[in-house]
Amino acid sequence: MRKIILLALALAPVLSFAQGFQVNLEGEKQIGMGHTGTGLAQDGAAIFFNPGAVATLPENYIQGGVSPLVFQSVFNPSGTNEQFHTANKIAPPFTFYGVWGPKNAIWKLGLGVYTPFGGLTDWGTTWPGKYSSEKLDLKAFYFQPTLSVRLTDYLSIGAGFVYNRGTVDLTQALPLANGSGQPGQAELKGSGKGYGWNAGIYFKTQSGVTIGISHRSQVTTTINNGDAIFTVPASLQAEFPQPNQFTASIPLPATNSIGFGFHPNNKWTYALDLNVVNWHAYKALIFDYKTTTPLLQNTVQPRQYQDAFTFRAGAQYQACSKWAVRFGGGLATAAAPDNFVTPEVPDAPRYYLTGGLGYKLASRLDLDLSFEYEHLFARTQTNAYTQLSGTYTSHVYIPGISLSYHW
Amino acid sequence: MKNLKLYIYILAGVIWLNACKPELNTPKPTPGTADFSRYIAIGNSLTAGYADGGLYRAGQLNSYPSIIAQQMQAVGGGTFTQPLFSTEQANGSGYLSLTGFNPDGTPITAPVTSNLAIRGFQAIPGFGNVTLYTKYTGDLNNFGVPGIKLQQITYAPYGNLNGYFERLLPGNSPTNTTSYLQFVTAKPFTFFSNWLGNNDALGYATSGGAGDVLTNKNTFAYLYNLLITTMTANGAKGVVATVPDVTSIPYFNTITVPAVLGAVQKAHPQVQAIFINALVSASTYAPRAATPNDLFVLTFPTSKIGQPVETPYGTLPYGLTPYTPIDNQYVLDANEVALTEDYVNFYNTTIKSVAASKGLAVFDAYTFLQNIKRNGIVVQGVALNSSYISGGIFSLDGVHLTPRGYAIVANEFIKAINAKYGSTVPLVDVANYPGVKFP
Repeated sequence: MRKIILLALALAPVLSFAQGFQVNLEGEKQIGMGHTGTGLAQDGAAIFFNPGAVATLPENYIQGGVSPLVFQSVFNPSGTNEQFHTANKIAPPFTFYGVWGPKNAIWKLGLGVYTPFGGLTDWGTTWPGKYSSEKLDLKAFYFQPTLSVRLTDYLSIGAGFVYNRGTVDLTQALPLANGSGQPGQAELKGSGKGYGWNAGIYFKTQSGVTIGISHRSQVTTTINNGDAIFTVPASLQAEFPQPNQFTASIPLPATNSIGFGFHPNNKWTYALDLNVVNWHAYKALIFDYKTTTPLLQNTVQPRQYQDAFTFRAGAQYQACSKWAVRFGGGLATAAAPDNFVTPEVPDAPRYYLTGGLGYKLASRLDLDLSFEYEHLFARTQTNAYTQLSGTYTSHVYIPGISLSYHW
Repeated sequence: MKNLKLYIYILAGVIWLNACKPELNTPKPTPGTADFSRYIAIGNSLTAGYADGGLYRAGQLNSYPSIIAQQMQAVGGGTFTQPLFSTEQANGSGYLSLTGFNPDGTPITAPVTSNLAIRGFQAIPGFGNVTLYTKYTGDLNNFGVPGIKLQQITYAPYGNLNGYFERLLPGNSPTNTTSYLQFVTAKPFTFFSNWLGNNDALGYATSGGAGDVLTNKNTFAYLYNLLITTMTANGAKGVVATVPDVTSIPYFNTITVPAVLGAVQKAHPQVQAIFINALVSASTYAPRAATPNDLFVLTFPTSKIGQPVETPYGTLPYGLTPYTPIDNQYVLDANEVALTEDYVNFYNTTIKSVAASKGLAVFDAYTFLQNIKRNGIVVQGVALNSSYISGGIFSLDGVHLTPRGYAIVANEFIKAINAKYGSTVPLVDVANYPGVKFP
C-alpha cells in the first residue's frame, strides 16, 4: 500500500556532464597558442596532443604545469529577474609529462599524466534548480605511457595506452520535506577506472608545413559500488536503505584531431587545429542501485548528445632567444542539444581567447605562463526532463604556469 | 611580510572573481497597464491559505495571494496584510499532521490541537453551533473566508454563521449585518483577484451529494455579474479563476471502488460487488453495484464494510448487499459526478464570459488541474501529480494545496495577469516551497 501512496515520487538523481567537462588545458605553451598542438612538436605535451610527434622532439623533457580555474555560471530563471551564481570553487587541472630517448635514436618513450575531463559546479542548496543539481565534482586523471617512432625524416608515429582514474561526487535535493519543510538530500560518491589509447601520426612536408593527426579513444569509466547516501525524513528511511551503493558508466568521449603547423621564419610559428569530439556516444546515463525499493529505482536518462567541433588557431613570436610571446583562440560547438542542457554544466557554444609568455630561466629550464578567457554564450533552455527553465551564461578565467626541464 | 603579501594577492584574487562574475541582462519588471498599489484577494479557503483540514498561521503565510503580492512588490505592489493568527495561537482552527505510516503503508494523521485560536461557540437557532475564532483587527488585503460560497456574498447575516468571516468583522455573532460583498468593497483598491465559486459545487460533492446542494445556475450567474460589476465599478483591474473539476482532487480519487473491492475479495473471494445508494434521477436514490465511475470520499471509513447491519431481511454485511448499501454521504456516484460537472461547466462559462466583458485576466484552474490529474506536471525537477500525499500538490485533506501547490497556483495567476496586462510580475521560485511534510 505504501507503494500506492508513494510510488509517484520520482527521485532519480541524475548525473550529467557535457562539453564543459572536457578540460582543454594540457600544456601552457599550447594554451598560449589557443590550445593548438596536434600539428606541432613543442615539448613533452605532445604526448597528449599527438604521440606521433614525440619522436621528433629534439630533446628529452620533464615538465609539469597547473591551470587553476574557476568556472563561473549564472542562471536567470524564466519569468523572473533573479540571478543565481555558482560558488567560486577552484579546480586545479594539472599536467605532468616525461619524454626520454637516447640521443639521435629514432624512438622516444614518454609518460603523460593529465586531466582531460573534469567539472566543478556548485550552485548551492537554495537555488531554483536544486532538485536537478546542487553540486558536481567530477575528475578524470589519465595516465598514458607512450612510445613514438620516427619512421623517416618526414614521418613519425606514436601511440599510448591510457589508464583512467575517475572520481565523482554529486549532490542534489530530494523533494521529500521533513517536519520543518527542509528537503531531503541525495549524494552519489565514488571512483572508478577505465582504459583507452591515444595514437597519432606526424608529417613534415617538403614545404615546411607540419601536419598531425591524432585519435584519443573513448574511455568508458565504470564506477562500481560508489556510495549512495540519502538523507530523508525518518518515516521514509526504509525506502532509502542505508548504506547503499550504485554503479554507473560514464563514456568519456573520443577526440579526433587534425592540426597544422606553419613555420615561415624562425621568429613566427602558426598553428591550426580542428577537433571532433564524439559526444554522440553519450546516449543515456544509467544508474543501478545495489538495493532498490519502490521509491528508489534504477534510472535511465536519455542524453542524446551530438558530436562537437572545435576550431583553434594560435601563433608564437620568438621575440628573442629568452622570450616568446603567444596568442590564440578558438570556437567550439555545444554537445548538449536543445532541451538537454543541465545545470551541472550549462553547455553552450563558446569562444575563447588565450595569451602566453615563454621565458628561458636557464639554458635547460623553461618557464611558461598562459592565460585563457573562455566565454559560453547565453543559452535559454527548458530541460525536457526537469522543466528547469531559464537562461545560462558562463565564463572562465584560467591562468596557468609550467616549468620544463629539457636536455 | 611575505605572508602579508600572499594574503593581499589572495584577497585581490577573491575580489576580482566576485567583480567579474558573469551577469545576464534582465529587463526591469513593469506593471504594464495594471496598477498593483493596493491588491486585495477575495475567495474561499484556497484564498485564505487553508491546508491540511484547517486554517493556521503557516498556511496563511503560504497563501497564493500573499505569494502573488510578494512578487508584485517588484512592479509597484503595496504592502499586503493578511488576517494572520498570532504566533501564540498559530495553530488557528487546528489541522492534520502526518505522523507516520501503518505497516500496510496507509498514512497516519493526527489532529494538532494545541495553541488554537478558538474563542468560543455561538448557537444559532435553526443553523447550529458556530465556532468563533480570536478576532482580527487591522488592515486587510486577503479576504479569503474558508467555506464561503458565491451564493452567500450578499447574505447579510452570513457574518454570524461563518466563524472565519466573523473573526474579520468588528461585531460579534449573532449581531452582524455586513455582507461579504459590502465588507470587501468598503475600502478602495486598484487590483483584485477573485477565486469564488468552488464551494458552490464542492460543498455538494464532498458531502457525497447528501449534505449540501449545488448553487442554482441562474443565481450563480446573477451573483457573479453583480460581484464583478461591483469590484470593477471604480476602475480596478483584476484576475479571476475558474472552478476546478471536483473530480480532479485526491479527495475523490484515493479510495477507489476497484481498490476497496479488491481488498474485500482478498479476505472473501466470493464477494462480487460493493453496493452503494446511488442517484437515479432528481432526488431519487436506489441501491446498485458500484462501478469505477463512482467515487468514494477520502474520509470514508473503509472499516465499516462488512460490519453486521440489522435489516428487515436479517443481519447483513455493510456495503456488500443491495439491502445494506454504503451511505450516500460517502459516495459521489456517477450520476452525481455528471450533475456536478454540468453545474461546474455552467459556472465556468459564466466566469469566463463575465471576465471577458470586463477585460479581466482569467486563470483557468479547471483546465490546469484537470491536466495535472491526467498528465502530472514537472516543475523545476520535481514530478508532481494529483495523488494523495505523494503527488506533492494537495495537502493532507485531499482538497486544499500544499505550499508547493499554492506557489504553482500563484505562478499561474501571475502568468494570466502578465498576459492580460502586459506586465512582467516575476514568477516565484516553486522549489522554495515544500510539499507534504513527512515526519
